[in-house]
Amino acid sequence: MASPPLIIDANDTRTRLNLGELLRYRDLFLVLVYRDYRVRYAQTLLGLAWAFLQPTATLLIFSIVFGKAVGIDTGAVPYPLFAVCGMAVWSYFAYVLSQSGTSIIGAQEMIKKIYFPRLIIPLSKAAVGFIDFGITTLLILLLMLYYRIAPSPNAVFLLLFAGMGIVAALAVGIWMSALTVRYRDFQHVVPFLVQVGLYATPVAYPAALVTDVVPRWAAVLYYLNPMAGVTEGFRWAVLGTAPPTGLSYVSLAITSLLLVGGLFYFRSVERTMADIV
Amino acid sequence: MSQIAIRVDELSKRYMIGRTVHGTLREQIAGLLQLGGGSRQEGFWALKDLSFVIPRGTAVGIVGRNGAGKSTLLKLLSRITYPTRGRMEIHGRVASLLEVGTGFHPELTGRENIFLNGTILGMTRHEVRRRMDAIVEFSGVSRFLDTPVKHYSNGMYVRLAFSVAAHLEPEILIVDEVLAVGDAEFQAKCLGKMDSVAREGRTVLLVSHNMGALRRLCTAGMVLDKGRLIAQDTMERCIEAYSGVRKAYLTRGIEDRTDRTGTGEVVFSRVDVLSNGEPRALFRAGEELEFVFHLRKKTTGVDRQVLVWFQVMKDEQVMFTGNSELYGWLEFSAAEHRVSCTIPRLPLFSGRYQVRIFVMVDGRRSDYLEDALEFQVDDAHFFPSGMTPKEKVGVLIDQSWRIE
Repeated sequence: MASPPLIIDANDTRTRLNLGELLRYRDLFLVLVYRDYRVRYAQTLLGLAWAFLQPTATLLIFSIVFGKAVGIDTGAVPYPLFAVCGMAVWSYFAYVLSQSGTSIIGAQEMIKKIYFPRLIIPLSKAAVGFIDFGITTLLILLLMLYYRIAPSPNAVFLLLFAGMGIVAALAVGIWMSALTVRYRDFQHVVPFLVQVGLYATPVAYPAALVTDVVPRWAAVLYYLNPMAGVTEGFRWAVLGTAPPTGLSYVSLAITSLLLVGGLFYFRSVERTMADIV
Repeated sequence: MSQIAIRVDELSKRYMIGRTVHGTLREQIAGLLQLGGGSRQEGFWALKDLSFVIPRGTAVGIVGRNGAGKSTLLKLLSRITYPTRGRMEIHGRVASLLEVGTGFHPELTGRENIFLNGTILGMTRHEVRRRMDAIVEFSGVSRFLDTPVKHYSNGMYVRLAFSVAAHLEPEILIVDEVLAVGDAEFQAKCLGKMDSVAREGRTVLLVSHNMGALRRLCTAGMVLDKGRLIAQDTMERCIEAYSGVRKAYLTRGIEDRTDRTGTGEVVFSRVDVLSNGEPRALFRAGEELEFVFHLRKKTTGVDRQVLVWFQVMKDEQVMFTGNSELYGWLEFSAAEHRVSCTIPRLPLFSGRYQVRIFVMVDGRRSDYLEDALEFQVDDAHFFPSGMTPKEKVGVLIDQSWRIE
């Protein structure tokens, strides 16, 4: 069977997403994800225990500072359980963001020597983050058992909000990976975003704490953070806390925009990646 | 099916030089503020207006001096980089091998790396699994398959990496100089494998400095020089054309050569190779040889720390190097200096040798020329017996024998 020839024309400057090509390279994607899992925990004495230690320590600090010292009101839900739900989605987002930011530069040896759709690289980072997501989810279940709290009936929406979180992480991750190749400045932007984002996102406190006291336009601005809608929604799905408001659509809209824009931007930078990385 | 494997029309590639290509935001903003004044596009054409057609099932050898654009051409054809101008048309699945073991990870085992490397090269996991036995057998490292490759010797690593590549079944295979790796026995095995790929009617593009391998594997050839395609013919005629290109560079005076790279602070103005103070075309192994470099400082100002370095080459392989750094820096105080290096007993086999020369100033490359000199050697007089070793490898070494 003769496949159509591959034509590369420098005069053709249109950017194509070519998602079918990604599908053809799915095995490379899977193998890269496997490699990252293996390498991440190879040679560490505690291995997977590290993945538990980190969220547990953060949770402890949050519970002491925000739960006890500040005394944030989380209604009927015990504070640690409230916080761990926010952390589950946020830490996934933060992981994907920081990993994909430098992912292309980290893979430069490969990029300079062989062709494959470069998008595979940030995509694989998003999948590697699942391991941490799974571990914090386990932590949620443990705490629910401990506090004897039954899952809320909203749990049917769990996958929806988790999915939205993955898409949001991917969208921002794709932007950051392409921008970091183009402008090295973004190596500094990513840790900054992660740090600021932790407080700008309703992880340790309910979003209403902010949106109830600021004018409407400021609340919209607050939800321009894609993770604001995701975190609130995820927590509602697990614990039945305050239901997501109409403001969540702001987060959804910005996520979709970021994803589509990011894909196109990435593809346009992709052509020169091997030359500038 | 199309009888053409690759068609290229006026393909050009320009690389930006002289400033950081990956730029920073600051530069970008500064550029915007300059409003028009900064729109000067500098750069250098690594390839210029290449047009050619490669029929299906041909094995094409590409030759050219360093920097002629060979690697850029392979990078374009394997889609690693995108052309600045022109068009290419590729019929069939391409596998490019610009390096052995791309993506190999030291922490992973041999088996895991076969999957990793195989999928990077474009195989599916299923294809890798199906060829696993053949790959392992070809590599000869089956005992260490479940050991992390960081514990492998360099030789084992290369064998495993090449074995994966050798079991690709593409319609078009693009290979850059990977034959220069591994021990002689494994190299022969690789050549054999490539030979059979070519005989199976697949298209092969090969860049190499190993003329013997090119003669054996390739029927057609291309010669690149300074980014242009100057010949496309049979491999034999291309090798001839290529040696013609090199001669043309050799006969030009050093001063007038433009095929040089470096900052240009201190440059070579003349280079000679002498015996007893006389230039000659033929030298005898075992006699004293003197390399003389005339250097000129192009910039005024403070004294510079200079080092001169040369490589004596045969068939594109370095036979020995001389480096003034081994004896400390040279103080460059005047505008011109004559630097010489004496080799007390020339240790070379018979043959034709070329010399590459470098001058470094304060740690930066100031001037570099390939094929700066050429000379011929006759090895009949190195040893007292007038005989020379039967294995013509490496260099001749003084030795003393005793029986007690």
